[in-house]
Amino acid sequence: VPLTDEGEVDLTLRAVLVDVLGLPEARVAAFDPTTPLFGALPEFDSMAVAGLLTELEERLGILIEDHEVDADMLETYGSLLSFARAKALR
Amino acid sequence: VTHSGGLAYDRYSCHGHEEWLMRIGAADAPPILFLPPLFEEMNRARALLAATMRRLAARGFGCWLPDLPGTGESERALEACDWAHWTNAAAAAAERVADASGRRPALASLRGGCLLDAEPPSPCRWRFAPVAGAALVRDLERAALAGGGELAGYPVPAPMLEALRLAEPEAAAALRTVRLATDPAEADHKLAGPALWRRSEPGNSFELADAIALDIEIWVRQCDAS
Repeated sequence: VPLTDEGEVDLTLRAVLVDVLGLPEARVAAFDPTTPLFGALPEFDSMAVAGLLTELEERLGILIEDHEVDADMLETYGSLLSFARAKALR
Repeated sequence: VTHSGGLAYDRYSCHGHEEWLMRIGAADAPPILFLPPLFEEMNRARALLAATMRRLAARGFGCWLPDLPGTGESERALEACDWAHWTNAAAAAAERVADASGRRPALASLRGGCLLDAEPPSPCRWRFAPVAGAALVRDLERAALAGGGELAGYPVPAPMLEALRLAEPEAAAALRTVRLATDPAEADHKLAGPALWRRSEPGNSFELADAIALDIEIWVRQCDAS
């Protein structure tokens, strides 16, 4: 079922971050577009990135190619959300 | 067969090998056969699965869990397995449970286990967070790229990998599909809780185990009544 709603992508991304990184929900709920992720959170290592991509693919019904994944896309919550929205809502 | 605190180990026979079949609850109680998540997801979900089985055993069910060929305590190497070993293992375990309990087991499958529940004849199927085989293959390949070693330490033979890539949860009668509340995909019911199969550190959620056990119990009783 394709998602059509930007808010739903946001909620799904936060839920996946809670699940993959094992962070408290309240902490992830407080993420804003400038919150730094990769390189800033110790939980966010390369294995966590692999899990994050797979879980996003499953829950958003998208496919993410390896060449689309780089440090910019993972840098902040805002950059990751923009990527997820562009993928899920096109 | 060993006994300790309601936990017992039985065996089932599959492709000429004896494989382990764990049981929590009485052998002659109404049986539920659990089909586990695959690969690393099983390790992450093991505590959740055991907690769920204990809860259902306390409510009078016999809960059974097979080690698939090439996994857990199996004496066969994963390198020597193919996809048919796993689908046949589910059927063989269900047959063994039916012999031991006197009736065909309900099937409760988690994640990749949902790819294995079509073959065994069963009056009742319950699935949690079913996943396509292609997604599991992508995860294995991605974890390998991230430094987990070739196929993340699971030496799945190429023919098995190709069969897994094509495997989808199959349509079935008397089927209930349940997902996490945070999963937008369609389901008959959604439960709040963490995706423990995705955590890099093993964990558990007694709240989720409570909710899963209750939902399975209601569904199995509904199957029995119809």
